[in-house]
Amino acid sequence: MRAHAELAQVWPRDGRLRLVGALHGHDPVGSAAAPWTLLLVLRDVPEHVLRYPAPLDGPAFDVSLPAADLAPEGVALPACWDLYFSQEPASGARERLRVGRVLDDIEGKKKIMVFPGQSVASGDGTALVKPYYTIKDNLSVEVTPAP
Amino acid sequence: MKIRYLLLHAYGMGGTIRTVITQANAMAAAGHDVELVSVLRRRDKPHFAVDSRVRLRTLADLRPGARAPHARGVLGRYRARRTARLAFRPPRHIPFSEPGHKAINRQIELAVIHYLSELRDGIVVTTRPALNILAAEYATGGVIRVAQEHVNLGTHKEDLRAAIIRCYPRLDAVAVLTSRDREDYLRMAPGTRVTRIPNAVHSLRQKPSTCASHIALAAGRLRPQKGFDLLIEAFAQLIDEFPDWQLRIYGTGDRHDQLRALIDQHHLYNHVLLMGRTDQLDEEMAKASMYVLSSRYEGLPMVLIEAMSHGLPVVSYDCPTGPADVISDGKEGLLLPPGDVPALAEGMRRLMGDEGLRARMGDAALGTVERYSPEAIRGQWTELFDDLLAERRAHRGL
Repeated sequence: MRAHAELAQVWPRDGRLRLVGALHGHDPVGSAAAPWTLLLVLRDVPEHVLRYPAPLDGPAFDVSLPAADLAPEGVALPACWDLYFSQEPASGARERLRVGRVLDDIEGKKKIMVFPGQSVASGDGTALVKPYYTIKDNLSVEVTPAP
Repeated sequence: MKIRYLLLHAYGMGGTIRTVITQANAMAAAGHDVELVSVLRRRDKPHFAVDSRVRLRTLADLRPGARAPHARGVLGRYRARRTARLAFRPPRHIPFSEPGHKAINRQIELAVIHYLSELRDGIVVTTRPALNILAAEYATGGVIRVAQEHVNLGTHKEDLRAAIIRCYPRLDAVAVLTSRDREDYLRMAPGTRVTRIPNAVHSLRQKPSTCASHIALAAGRLRPQKGFDLLIEAFAQLIDEFPDWQLRIYGTGDRHDQLRALIDQHHLYNHVLLMGRTDQLDEEMAKASMYVLSSRYEGLPMVLIEAMSHGLPVVSYDCPTGPADVISDGKEGLLLPPGDVPALAEGMRRLMGDEGLRARMGDAALGTVERYSPEAIRGQWTELFDDLLAERRAHRGL
Protein backbone atom coordinates (compact mmCIF):
# COMPACT_ATOMS: atom_id res chain seq x y z
CA MET A 1 0.00 0.00 0.00
CA ARG A 2 1.27 3.49 -0.83
CA ALA A 3 2.13 5.76 2.04
CA HIS A 4 -0.74 8.06 2.92
CA ALA A 5 -2.23 10.12 5.75
CA GLU A 6 -4.94 8.03 7.41
CA LEU A 7 -7.81 10.00 8.91
CA ALA A 8 -9.43 9.07 12.19
CA GLN A 9 -11.72 12.09 12.47
CA VAL A 10 -12.81 15.05 10.37
CA TRP A 11 -14.35 17.98 12.22
CA PRO A 12 -16.03 20.65 10.09
CA ARG A 13 -17.33 22.94 12.86
CA ASP A 14 -17.03 26.41 14.40
CA GLY A 15 -15.74 27.89 11.14
CA ARG A 16 -12.75 25.58 10.98
CA LEU A 17 -11.82 22.31 9.32
CA ARG A 18 -9.87 20.03 11.68
CA LEU A 19 -8.23 16.78 10.66
CA VAL A 20 -7.07 14.11 13.11
CA GLY A 21 -5.16 10.97 12.15
CA ALA A 22 -1.74 9.49 11.52
CA LEU A 23 0.73 9.06 8.65
CA HIS A 24 0.80 5.48 7.47
CA GLY A 25 3.47 3.55 5.62
CA HIS A 26 5.90 6.43 5.62
CA ASP A 27 9.52 5.90 6.58
CA PRO A 28 10.42 8.74 8.95
CA VAL A 29 14.18 7.94 9.00
CA GLY A 30 16.29 10.77 7.66
CA SER A 31 13.40 13.12 7.24
CA ALA A 32 12.20 13.28 10.81
CA ALA A 33 13.61 16.72 11.31
CA ALA A 34 11.99 18.38 8.32
CA PRO A 35 8.68 20.04 9.23
CA TRP A 36 5.44 18.69 7.78
CA THR A 37 2.91 20.77 5.93
CA LEU A 38 -0.74 20.18 5.08
CA LEU A 39 -1.30 21.08 1.43
CA LEU A 40 -4.61 21.92 -0.18
CA VAL A 41 -4.29 21.75 -3.94
CA LEU A 42 -6.92 23.35 -6.16
CA ARG A 43 -7.91 20.50 -8.46
CA ASP A 44 -8.40 22.58 -11.62
CA VAL A 45 -5.36 24.82 -10.99
CA PRO A 46 -2.76 22.53 -9.37
CA GLU A 47 -0.22 25.31 -8.93
CA HIS A 48 -2.70 27.04 -6.60
CA VAL A 49 -1.72 25.52 -3.23
CA LEU A 50 -2.63 26.47 0.36
CA ARG A 51 -0.07 25.47 3.02
CA TYR A 52 -0.53 24.97 6.78
CA PRO A 53 2.10 23.81 9.26
CA ALA A 54 1.23 20.33 10.53
CA PRO A 55 3.57 19.30 13.35
CA LEU A 56 3.50 15.57 14.03
CA ASP A 57 3.48 13.72 17.32
CA GLY A 58 5.16 10.49 16.23
CA PRO A 59 3.11 9.65 13.15
CA ALA A 60 0.00 11.40 14.54
CA PHE A 61 -1.35 14.67 13.19
CA ASP A 62 -4.01 17.07 14.46
CA VAL A 63 -4.23 20.09 12.20
CA SER A 64 -6.90 22.70 11.51
CA LEU A 65 -7.49 25.66 9.24
CA PRO A 66 -10.14 28.34 8.75
CA ALA A 67 -12.87 27.10 6.41
CA ALA A 68 -13.07 30.58 4.82
CA ASP A 69 -9.53 30.14 3.42
CA LEU A 70 -10.99 27.67 0.92
CA ALA A 71 -13.22 30.28 -0.70
CA PRO A 72 -10.65 33.02 -1.54
CA GLU A 73 -11.32 35.76 -4.03
CA GLY A 74 -10.24 34.88 -7.51
CA VAL A 75 -11.15 31.20 -7.27
CA ALA A 76 -14.13 30.34 -9.44
CA LEU A 77 -16.88 28.34 -7.74
CA PRO A 78 -17.65 25.53 -7.63
CA ALA A 79 -14.13 24.56 -6.67
CA CYS A 80 -12.54 21.44 -5.28
CA TRP A 81 -9.45 21.06 -3.09
CA ASP A 82 -7.45 17.83 -2.72
CA LEU A 83 -5.55 17.33 0.56
CA TYR A 84 -1.95 16.10 1.05
CA PHE A 85 0.80 15.98 3.66
CA SER A 86 4.30 16.92 2.54
CA GLN A 87 7.70 18.01 3.75
CA GLU A 88 8.26 20.22 0.70
CA PRO A 89 9.96 22.48 0.07
CA ALA A 90 12.26 22.30 3.12
CA SER A 91 13.63 18.81 2.54
CA GLY A 92 13.59 19.08 -1.22
CA ALA A 93 11.50 15.91 -1.21
CA ARG A 94 8.58 16.04 -3.63
CA GLU A 95 6.62 13.18 -2.08
CA ARG A 96 3.05 14.08 -1.24
CA LEU A 97 0.97 11.79 0.98
CA ARG A 98 -2.71 11.82 0.07
CA VAL A 99 -5.13 12.36 2.97
CA GLY A 100 -7.82 9.68 3.14
CA ARG A 101 -9.29 6.79 5.07
CA VAL A 102 -8.54 3.41 3.57
CA LEU A 103 -7.58 1.16 6.49
CA ASP A 104 -11.04 0.38 7.86
CA ASP A 105 -13.69 -2.04 6.55
CA ILE A 106 -16.23 0.47 5.25
CA GLU A 107 -16.77 0.45 1.51
CA GLY A 108 -18.36 3.36 -0.29
CA LYS A 109 -17.53 6.12 2.22
CA LYS A 110 -18.68 8.78 -0.23
CA LYS A 111 -22.28 7.98 0.76
CA ILE A 112 -21.75 6.68 4.31
CA MET A 113 -19.20 8.98 5.97
CA VAL A 114 -20.81 12.26 5.05
CA PHE A 115 -19.91 15.63 6.57
CA PRO A 116 -21.92 18.82 6.84
CA GLY A 117 -20.96 21.97 4.93
CA GLN A 118 -20.09 25.27 6.60
CA SER A 119 -21.15 28.66 5.23
CA VAL A 120 -18.33 31.19 4.84
CA ALA A 121 -18.10 34.70 3.37
CA SER A 122 -16.82 34.68 -0.19
CA GLY A 123 -16.45 37.91 -2.10
CA ASP A 124 -19.89 39.52 -2.13
CA GLY A 125 -21.78 36.38 -1.18
CA THR A 126 -21.41 33.20 0.80
CA ALA A 127 -20.00 29.81 -0.08
CA LEU A 128 -20.54 26.35 1.35
CA VAL A 129 -17.34 24.51 2.33
CA LYS A 130 -17.94 20.78 2.60
CA PRO A 131 -15.39 17.99 3.06
CA TYR A 132 -16.19 14.68 1.41
CA TYR A 133 -14.68 11.28 0.68
CA THR A 134 -14.00 10.58 -2.98
CA ILE A 135 -14.89 7.24 -4.56
CA LYS A 136 -11.31 6.20 -3.74
CA ASP A 137 -11.87 7.10 -0.04
CA ASN A 138 -9.57 10.13 -0.20
CA LEU A 139 -10.59 13.41 1.41
CA SER A 140 -11.35 16.44 -0.70
CA VAL A 141 -13.22 19.65 0.03
CA GLU A 142 -15.93 21.00 -2.22
CA VAL A 143 -16.71 24.74 -2.25
CA THR A 144 -20.00 25.75 -3.85
CA PRO A 145 -21.82 29.08 -4.04
CA ALA A 146 -24.40 29.17 -1.26
CA PRO A 147 -27.89 30.08 -2.42
CA MET B 1 -49.96 -34.76 7.22
CA LYS B 2 -51.46 -32.57 4.49
CA ILE B 3 -50.79 -28.86 5.02
CA ARG B 4 -51.63 -25.90 2.77
CA TYR B 5 -50.20 -22.44 3.41
CA LEU B 6 -52.12 -19.52 1.89
CA LEU B 7 -50.18 -16.33 1.18
CA LEU B 8 -51.52 -13.25 -0.53
CA HIS B 9 -48.40 -13.14 -2.71
CA ALA B 10 -45.91 -15.98 -2.27
CA TYR B 11 -43.77 -14.47 -5.05
CA GLY B 12 -43.14 -11.21 -3.12
CA MET B 13 -40.42 -10.27 -0.65
CA GLY B 14 -41.94 -9.22 2.70
CA GLY B 15 -41.10 -10.53 6.17
CA THR B 16 -44.32 -12.57 6.46
CA ILE B 17 -43.68 -14.19 3.10
CA ARG B 18 -40.18 -15.17 4.17
CA THR B 19 -41.25 -16.75 7.45
CA VAL B 20 -44.19 -18.63 5.92
CA ILE B 21 -41.97 -20.06 3.17
CA THR B 22 -39.45 -21.08 5.88
CA GLN B 23 -42.26 -22.94 7.67
CA ALA B 24 -43.50 -24.62 4.48
CA ASN B 25 -39.95 -25.69 3.56
CA ALA B 26 -39.34 -27.09 7.06
CA MET B 27 -42.60 -29.07 7.00
CA ALA B 28 -41.87 -30.48 3.53
CA ALA B 29 -38.35 -31.45 4.65
CA ALA B 30 -39.94 -33.38 7.54
CA GLY B 31 -41.89 -35.44 4.99
CA HIS B 32 -45.29 -33.76 5.15
CA ASP B 33 -47.42 -33.12 2.07
CA VAL B 34 -47.15 -29.34 1.69
CA GLU B 35 -48.87 -27.00 -0.74
CA LEU B 36 -48.05 -23.29 -0.90
CA VAL B 37 -50.94 -21.33 -2.36
CA SER B 38 -50.33 -17.84 -3.70
CA VAL B 39 -53.60 -15.95 -3.98
CA LEU B 40 -51.99 -13.55 -6.47
CA ARG B 41 -49.06 -13.99 -8.77
CA ARG B 42 -47.26 -10.95 -10.15
CA ARG B 43 -43.82 -12.47 -10.80
CA ASP B 44 -42.43 -15.47 -12.59
CA LYS B 45 -40.32 -16.78 -9.73
CA PRO B 46 -40.66 -16.57 -5.92
CA HIS B 47 -38.19 -14.14 -4.30
CA PHE B 48 -37.43 -16.59 -1.47
CA ALA B 49 -36.30 -20.16 -2.22
CA VAL B 50 -39.16 -22.66 -2.09
CA ASP B 51 -38.21 -26.29 -1.39
CA SER B 52 -38.74 -28.51 -4.44
CA ARG B 53 -40.99 -30.79 -2.35
CA VAL B 54 -43.44 -27.91 -1.78
CA ARG B 55 -46.16 -27.70 -4.44
CA LEU B 56 -46.76 -24.13 -5.58
CA ARG B 57 -50.19 -23.10 -6.75
CA THR B 58 -51.64 -19.76 -7.83
CA LEU B 59 -55.30 -18.73 -7.60
CA ALA B 60 -55.15 -15.51 -9.65
CA ASP B 61 -52.33 -15.03 -12.13
CA LEU B 62 -51.91 -11.28 -12.62
CA ARG B 63 -48.75 -11.37 -14.70
CA PRO B 64 -49.00 -9.42 -17.93
CA GLY B 65 -49.97 -11.86 -20.65
CA ALA B 66 -51.63 -14.33 -18.27
CA ARG B 67 -55.08 -15.15 -19.63
CA ALA B 68 -58.23 -16.77 -18.42
CA PRO B 69 -58.97 -20.11 -20.15
CA HIS B 70 -60.81 -19.72 -23.45
CA ALA B 71 -64.57 -19.63 -22.86
CA ARG B 72 -66.73 -21.97 -24.98
CA GLY B 73 -70.36 -21.55 -25.98
CA VAL B 74 -72.86 -18.78 -25.30
CA LEU B 75 -73.19 -19.59 -21.59
CA GLY B 76 -69.41 -19.91 -21.20
CA ARG B 77 -68.80 -16.52 -22.78
CA TYR B 78 -71.55 -14.99 -20.63
CA ARG B 79 -69.94 -16.38 -17.48
CA ALA B 80 -66.49 -15.23 -18.59
CA ARG B 81 -67.75 -11.67 -19.12
CA ARG B 82 -69.47 -11.72 -15.76
CA THR B 83 -66.30 -12.94 -14.01
CA ALA B 84 -64.23 -10.29 -15.78
CA ARG B 85 -66.59 -7.57 -14.54
CA LEU B 86 -66.10 -8.79 -10.97
CA ALA B 87 -62.45 -7.78 -11.22
CA PHE B 88 -63.63 -4.16 -10.96
CA ARG B 89 -65.73 -4.73 -7.83
CA PRO B 90 -64.41 -4.50 -4.27
CA PRO B 91 -64.34 -7.63 -2.10
CA ARG B 92 -67.47 -8.34 -0.07
CA HIS B 93 -65.99 -9.81 3.12
CA ILE B 94 -62.68 -8.06 3.62
CA PRO B 95 -62.73 -4.95 5.81
CA PHE B 96 -61.66 -1.76 4.06
CA SER B 97 -58.72 -1.07 6.38
CA GLU B 98 -57.10 -4.47 5.73
CA PRO B 99 -54.17 -3.52 3.47
CA GLY B 100 -55.07 -6.57 1.35
CA HIS B 101 -58.41 -4.91 0.52
CA LYS B 102 -56.77 -3.08 -2.37
CA ALA B 103 -55.20 -6.20 -3.86
CA ILE B 104 -58.21 -8.50 -3.51
CA ASN B 105 -61.09 -7.62 -5.86
CA ARG B 106 -64.37 -9.53 -5.83
CA GLN B 107 -63.17 -11.90 -8.55
CA ILE B 108 -60.08 -12.86 -6.53
CA GLU B 109 -62.12 -13.09 -3.33
CA LEU B 110 -64.44 -15.60 -5.05
CA ALA B 111 -61.42 -17.64 -6.23
CA VAL B 112 -60.19 -17.85 -2.61
CA ILE B 113 -63.66 -18.78 -1.35
CA HIS B 114 -63.95 -21.47 -4.03
CA TYR B 115 -60.56 -22.91 -3.06
CA LEU B 116 -61.29 -22.89 0.68
CA SER B 117 -64.79 -24.36 0.41
CA GLU B 118 -63.54 -27.45 -1.41
CA LEU B 119 -61.04 -28.48 1.29
CA ARG B 120 -62.19 -31.60 3.13
CA ASP B 121 -59.21 -32.86 5.13
CA GLY B 122 -55.82 -31.99 6.58
CA ILE B 123 -54.87 -28.45 7.55
CA VAL B 124 -55.08 -25.04 5.95
CA VAL B 125 -52.91 -22.24 7.33
CA THR B 126 -53.94 -18.69 6.40
CA THR B 127 -51.46 -15.91 6.98
CA ARG B 128 -53.20 -12.51 7.11
CA PRO B 129 -56.52 -11.17 8.42
CA ALA B 130 -58.22 -11.09 5.00
CA LEU B 131 -57.49 -14.76 4.42
CA ASN B 132 -58.18 -15.70 8.04
CA ILE B 133 -61.64 -14.14 7.80
CA LEU B 134 -62.42 -15.98 4.56
CA ALA B 135 -61.20 -19.28 6.09
CA ALA B 136 -63.45 -18.78 9.13
CA GLU B 137 -66.46 -18.17 6.87
CA TYR B 138 -65.87 -20.64 4.02
CA ALA B 139 -63.35 -23.38 4.88
CA THR B 140 -66.13 -25.37 6.51
CA GLY B 141 -65.92 -28.65 4.60
CA GLY B 142 -63.88 -30.56 7.18
CA VAL B 143 -60.41 -29.01 6.93
CA ILE B 144 -58.72 -27.75 10.11
CA ARG B 145 -58.29 -23.95 9.98
CA VAL B 146 -55.18 -22.41 11.51
CA ALA B 147 -54.85 -18.64 11.18
CA GLN B 148 -51.58 -16.72 11.59
CA GLU B 149 -51.42 -13.15 12.83
CA HIS B 150 -48.09 -11.47 12.09
CA VAL B 151 -49.01 -8.10 13.56
CA ASN B 152 -50.27 -6.63 16.78
CA LEU B 153 -54.03 -6.51 17.34
CA GLY B 154 -53.59 -2.86 18.34
CA THR B 155 -52.39 -1.95 14.84
CA HIS B 156 -55.69 -3.12 13.26
CA LYS B 157 -58.36 -0.47 12.70
CA GLU B 158 -61.88 -0.62 14.12
CA ASP B 159 -63.63 -2.31 11.15
CA LEU B 160 -60.97 -5.00 10.91
CA ARG B 161 -60.97 -5.59 14.66
CA ALA B 162 -64.75 -6.08 14.60
CA ALA B 163 -64.41 -8.69 11.83
CA ILE B 164 -61.64 -10.44 13.78
CA ILE B 165 -63.72 -10.55 16.96
CA ARG B 166 -66.64 -11.99 14.96
CA CYS B 167 -64.69 -14.55 12.93
CA TYR B 168 -61.66 -15.76 14.87
CA PRO B 169 -63.52 -17.75 17.55
CA ARG B 170 -64.78 -20.00 14.73
CA LEU B 171 -61.26 -20.96 13.64
CA ASP B 172 -59.59 -24.08 15.02
CA ALA B 173 -56.56 -22.08 16.17
CA VAL B 174 -55.01 -18.65 15.86
CA ALA B 175 -51.21 -18.46 16.06
CA VAL B 176 -49.52 -15.24 17.20
CA LEU B 177 -45.87 -14.28 17.59
CA THR B 178 -45.63 -12.94 21.16
CA SER B 179 -47.14 -13.47 24.63
CA ARG B 180 -48.54 -9.95 24.62
CA ASP B 181 -50.38 -10.67 21.34
CA ARG B 182 -51.76 -13.86 22.82
CA GLU B 183 -53.19 -11.96 25.79
CA ASP B 184 -54.65 -9.26 23.52
CA TYR B 185 -56.40 -11.69 21.16
CA LEU B 186 -57.73 -13.78 24.06
CA ARG B 187 -59.17 -10.66 25.68
CA MET B 188 -60.67 -9.18 22.51
CA ALA B 189 -61.97 -12.39 20.96
CA PRO B 190 -62.84 -14.67 23.87
CA GLY B 191 -63.37 -18.28 22.96
CA THR B 192 -60.57 -18.25 20.40
CA ARG B 193 -57.84 -20.85 20.73
CA VAL B 194 -54.71 -18.71 20.64
CA THR B 195 -51.24 -20.23 20.52
CA ARG B 196 -47.91 -18.40 20.59
CA ILE B 197 -45.39 -19.66 18.06
CA PRO B 198 -42.57 -17.28 17.16
CA ASN B 199 -40.89 -17.17 13.78
CA ALA B 200 -37.69 -19.12 13.23
CA VAL B 201 -34.38 -17.51 12.26
CA HIS B 202 -33.23 -18.57 8.81
CA SER B 203 -30.10 -20.23 10.20
CA LEU B 204 -28.28 -20.77 13.47
CA ARG B 205 -25.00 -21.65 11.79
CA GLN B 206 -23.63 -18.10 11.94
CA LYS B 207 -20.19 -16.69 12.45
CA PRO B 208 -20.03 -15.53 16.08
CA SER B 209 -18.81 -12.08 17.07
CA THR B 210 -15.83 -11.81 19.42
CA CYS B 211 -17.51 -8.81 21.13
CA ALA B 212 -14.09 -7.10 21.08
CA SER B 213 -14.64 -4.49 18.36
CA HIS B 214 -15.91 -1.03 19.18
CA ILE B 215 -18.92 -1.16 16.87
CA ALA B 216 -22.57 -0.99 17.96
CA LEU B 217 -25.04 -2.08 15.29
CA ALA B 218 -28.70 -1.34 14.60
CA ALA B 219 -30.78 -2.23 11.56
CA GLY B 220 -34.23 -1.49 10.19
CA ARG B 221 -36.20 0.82 7.98
CA LEU B 222 -35.35 4.48 8.59
CA ARG B 223 -38.86 5.18 9.89
CA PRO B 224 -40.11 6.75 13.15
CA GLN B 225 -41.17 3.29 14.37
CA LYS B 226 -37.53 2.19 14.68
CA GLY B 227 -36.62 5.05 17.03
CA PHE B 228 -33.22 5.73 15.45
CA ASP B 229 -33.68 9.39 16.44
CA LEU B 230 -33.70 8.26 20.10
CA LEU B 231 -30.69 6.04 19.48
CA ILE B 232 -28.67 8.90 17.94
CA GLU B 233 -29.56 11.17 20.88
CA ALA B 234 -28.41 8.45 23.29
CA PHE B 235 -25.16 7.84 21.43
CA ALA B 236 -24.44 11.58 21.51
CA GLN B 237 -24.13 11.26 25.30
CA LEU B 238 -21.43 8.60 24.97
CA ILE B 239 -18.84 9.72 22.43
CA ASP B 240 -16.82 11.88 24.82
CA GLU B 241 -16.32 8.83 26.97
CA PHE B 242 -15.95 6.37 24.08
CA PRO B 243 -14.41 8.34 21.20
CA ASP B 244 -13.27 5.25 19.28
CA TRP B 245 -16.75 3.63 19.14
CA GLN B 246 -18.94 3.67 16.05
CA LEU B 247 -22.68 3.25 15.75
CA ARG B 248 -23.61 1.69 12.39
CA ILE B 249 -27.25 1.88 11.36
CA TYR B 250 -28.24 -0.34 8.42
CA GLY B 251 -31.34 0.30 6.35
CA THR B 252 -33.02 2.82 4.10
CA GLY B 253 -36.18 4.82 4.48
CA ASP B 254 -37.88 8.17 4.17
CA ARG B 255 -36.38 9.58 7.42
CA HIS B 256 -32.82 9.39 6.10
CA ASP B 257 -32.42 13.15 5.71
CA GLN B 258 -33.87 13.94 9.14
CA LEU B 259 -31.52 11.43 10.79
CA ARG B 260 -28.58 12.89 8.84
CA ALA B 261 -29.53 16.37 10.11
CA LEU B 262 -29.68 15.05 13.70
CA ILE B 263 -26.21 13.51 13.29
CA ASP B 264 -24.84 16.85 12.01
CA GLN B 265 -26.57 18.81 14.77
CA HIS B 266 -24.82 16.71 17.45
CA HIS B 267 -21.52 16.61 15.49
CA LEU B 268 -21.69 12.82 15.36
CA TYR B 269 -20.56 12.49 11.72
CA ASN B 270 -17.39 10.69 12.81
CA HIS B 271 -19.26 8.25 15.03
CA VAL B 272 -22.74 7.49 13.71
CA LEU B 273 -22.89 6.04 10.21
CA LEU B 274 -26.02 5.58 8.11
CA MET B 275 -24.83 2.50 6.24
CA GLY B 276 -27.68 2.13 3.76
CA ARG B 277 -28.83 -1.21 2.43
CA THR B 278 -26.63 -4.30 2.61
CA ASP B 279 -27.07 -7.88 1.46
CA GLN B 280 -24.33 -8.92 3.91
CA LEU B 281 -25.92 -8.12 7.24
CA ASP B 282 -24.69 -11.46 8.60
CA GLU B 283 -21.05 -10.48 7.98
CA GLU B 284 -21.63 -7.00 9.41
CA MET B 285 -23.17 -8.45 12.58
CA ALA B 286 -20.19 -10.74 13.07
CA LYS B 287 -17.93 -7.65 13.07
CA ALA B 288 -20.02 -5.77 15.63
CA SER B 289 -19.87 -5.98 19.41
CA MET B 290 -23.45 -5.26 20.45
CA TYR B 291 -26.91 -4.84 18.91
CA VAL B 292 -29.22 -1.98 19.86
CA LEU B 293 -33.00 -2.02 19.39
CA SER B 294 -34.50 1.44 19.91
CA SER B 295 -37.95 0.79 18.41
CA ARG B 296 -41.13 2.47 19.62
CA TYR B 297 -43.02 -0.73 18.77
CA GLU B 298 -42.38 -4.02 17.02
CA GLY B 299 -44.11 -7.24 16.01
CA LEU B 300 -41.52 -9.87 16.73
CA PRO B 301 -38.17 -8.27 15.82
CA MET B 302 -36.43 -11.02 13.85
CA VAL B 303 -33.33 -8.89 13.34
CA LEU B 304 -32.83 -8.92 17.12
CA ILE B 305 -32.93 -12.71 17.13
CA GLU B 306 -30.57 -12.82 14.15
CA ALA B 307 -28.13 -10.57 16.02
CA MET B 308 -28.27 -12.98 18.97
CA SER B 309 -27.48 -15.86 16.61
CA HIS B 310 -24.11 -14.13 16.08
CA GLY B 311 -23.49 -14.07 19.83
CA LEU B 312 -24.16 -10.35 20.09
CA PRO B 313 -25.43 -8.94 23.40
CA VAL B 314 -28.49 -6.74 23.08
CA VAL B 315 -29.45 -3.36 24.46
CA SER B 316 -33.18 -3.01 23.82
CA TYR B 317 -36.19 -0.96 24.68
CA ASP B 318 -38.88 -3.06 26.35
CA CYS B 319 -41.38 -1.92 23.71
CA PRO B 320 -44.54 -3.72 22.64
CA THR B 321 -44.09 -6.39 21.47
CA GLY B 322 -41.34 -8.94 21.31
CA PRO B 323 -38.15 -7.89 23.11
CA ALA B 324 -39.37 -9.04 26.53
CA ASP B 325 -40.37 -12.40 25.00
CA VAL B 326 -36.92 -12.90 23.55
CA ILE B 327 -34.50 -11.62 26.20
CA SER B 328 -34.39 -11.37 29.99
CA ASP B 329 -32.96 -8.19 31.46
CA GLY B 330 -29.41 -8.87 32.62
CA LYS B 331 -29.04 -12.22 30.85
CA GLU B 332 -28.62 -11.80 27.07
CA GLY B 333 -28.61 -8.04 27.36
CA LEU B 334 -30.51 -5.15 28.90
CA LEU B 335 -34.20 -4.23 28.67
CA LEU B 336 -34.88 -0.53 29.15
CA PRO B 337 -38.01 1.59 29.52
CA PRO B 338 -39.22 2.44 25.98
CA GLY B 339 -38.53 5.94 24.74
CA ASP B 340 -36.15 6.76 27.62
CA VAL B 341 -33.02 8.26 26.01
CA PRO B 342 -30.86 8.58 29.17
CA ALA B 343 -31.72 4.96 30.10
CA LEU B 344 -30.72 3.79 26.62
CA ALA B 345 -27.45 5.72 26.90
CA GLU B 346 -26.78 4.25 30.35
CA GLY B 347 -27.48 0.71 29.09
CA MET B 348 -25.12 1.15 26.16
CA ARG B 349 -22.48 2.67 28.46
CA ARG B 350 -22.56 -0.45 30.67
CA LEU B 351 -21.86 -2.73 27.72
CA MET B 352 -19.44 -0.42 25.89
CA GLY B 353 -17.31 -0.14 29.02
CA ASP B 354 -17.16 -3.87 29.77
CA GLU B 355 -15.92 -6.30 27.13
CA GLY B 356 -16.25 -9.24 29.55
CA LEU B 357 -19.91 -8.43 30.15
CA ARG B 358 -20.51 -8.20 26.40
CA ALA B 359 -18.92 -11.62 25.88
CA ARG B 360 -20.90 -13.23 28.73
CA MET B 361 -24.22 -11.81 27.52
CA GLY B 362 -23.32 -12.73 23.93
CA ASP B 363 -22.76 -16.34 25.02
CA ALA B 364 -26.13 -16.33 26.81
CA ALA B 365 -27.71 -14.98 23.60
CA LEU B 366 -26.27 -17.92 21.63
CA GLY B 367 -27.96 -20.29 24.08
CA THR B 368 -31.32 -18.52 24.09
CA VAL B 369 -31.54 -18.30 20.32
CA GLU B 370 -31.63 -22.11 20.04
CA ARG B 371 -35.35 -21.77 20.78
CA TYR B 372 -35.78 -20.02 17.43
CA SER B 373 -34.03 -22.60 15.26
CA PRO B 374 -36.05 -23.80 12.24
CA GLU B 375 -36.19 -27.27 13.85
CA ALA B 376 -37.42 -26.02 17.24
CA ILE B 377 -40.15 -23.90 15.61
CA ARG B 378 -41.16 -26.74 13.30
CA GLY B 379 -41.58 -28.88 16.42
CA GLN B 380 -44.02 -26.36 17.87
CA TRP B 381 -46.10 -26.30 14.68
CA THR B 382 -46.12 -30.09 14.44
CA GLU B 383 -47.33 -30.33 18.01
CA LEU B 384 -50.17 -27.87 17.34
CA PHE B 385 -51.25 -29.63 14.15
CA ASP B 386 -51.11 -33.08 15.81
CA ASP B 387 -53.22 -31.84 18.72
CA LEU B 388 -55.83 -30.31 16.42
CA LEU B 389 -56.05 -33.45 14.27
CA ALA B 390 -56.36 -35.66 17.38
CA GLU B 391 -59.13 -33.46 18.76
CA ARG B 392 -60.96 -33.57 15.43
CA ARG B 393 -60.76 -37.38 15.36
CA ALA B 394 -61.94 -37.62 18.97
CA HIS B 395 -64.81 -35.23 18.21
CA ARG B 396 -65.94 -37.36 15.28
CA GLY B 397 -65.64 -40.48 17.44
CA LEU B 398 -63.21 -42.11 15.03
